[in-house]
Amino acid sequence: MKELDPILHSQLRLAVMSILMNVEEADFVYLKEQTESTAGNLSVQLDKLSSAGYITVTKGFVGKKTRTTCQVTDQGRKAFEQYVEALKGYLNL
Amino acid sequence: MEDKKMTEKESLELITAMIQRTRERYVGDGNIMLMWGYLSVVVAALVWILLVKTHNPAWNWLWFAIGVIGGIATPIMDKKQRVKYGVKSYSDKLTSQIWTIVGISAFVATLFCLGFSLLKGYDAWKMMFAFALIIVPMAEMAQGIVIKEKSLVAGGAIGLTCGIFIVCCIAAEVPLYASLILPLFIIAFICMMIIPGHIINRKARLQR
Repeated sequence: MKELDPILHSQLRLAVMSILMNVEEADFVYLKEQTESTAGNLSVQLDKLSSAGYITVTKGFVGKKTRTTCQVTDQGRKAFEQYVEALKGYLNL
Repeated sequence: MEDKKMTEKESLELITAMIQRTRERYVGDGNIMLMWGYLSVVVAALVWILLVKTHNPAWNWLWFAIGVIGGIATPIMDKKQRVKYGVKSYSDKLTSQIWTIVGISAFVATLFCLGFSLLKGYDAWKMMFAFALIIVPMAEMAQGIVIKEKSLVAGGAIGLTCGIFIVCCIAAEVPLYASLILPLFIIAFICMMIIPGHIINRKARLQR
């Protein structure tokens, strides 16, 4: 049976990817609210997803405040689809 | 939520829950639509009153205020909206692209009318009424279908009906008097923009 992608097989990273798969882009505050995570933890997991090439993280400014937006990449989309397929295999769906 | 490993079943449940959350997000914000609606209605009413009072066609230049004010205000309001909700969905992207096409075609149509008027002295400005009440309602109905908002589809249908009537008048060379075309324009924009805009805002308020 195909092994589950270790980058995605983690609660917070999978939650972030599931959200980003359904939207064009989402900012840090939105992801933090939806995943009910802490800023520090979310930041670390976003870095891991970004390093794996699954998401792009763009930092911008709104007035004097910074705004971080995330978007899933084609590579991330493919990895997520493969992860769901592998899950189906494990669960005999 | 933490960085912990899960069982396969928990993974699937988490994916389903997150998809559900993104679907339950805001229904939208009708403020940009309201801005265009009120702007169009106020300018049309102003032009109508001034034309009737003064009989001076130069007041028609006031129509440009719609494009200028709306064109400046829209990107500012759009940016604020994105920051406020923190997310941009695929339907947001699609509707934004639809309205960008409408904006660009309105600009091109204006240039043509201006060119006809300045170079040859032809009056092609009637076409802008047909444009406003054909292209805009079509875009609005498309947006209504994408975001599943019936008031946009219904408002668009009323606007489109007015637009088809105007095109028929132009084709049949029926004189388009201000007292005929401007009330029609105002009614169409109230149905197309103002009523759906308030309905969308009310739904958004109830959802919060």
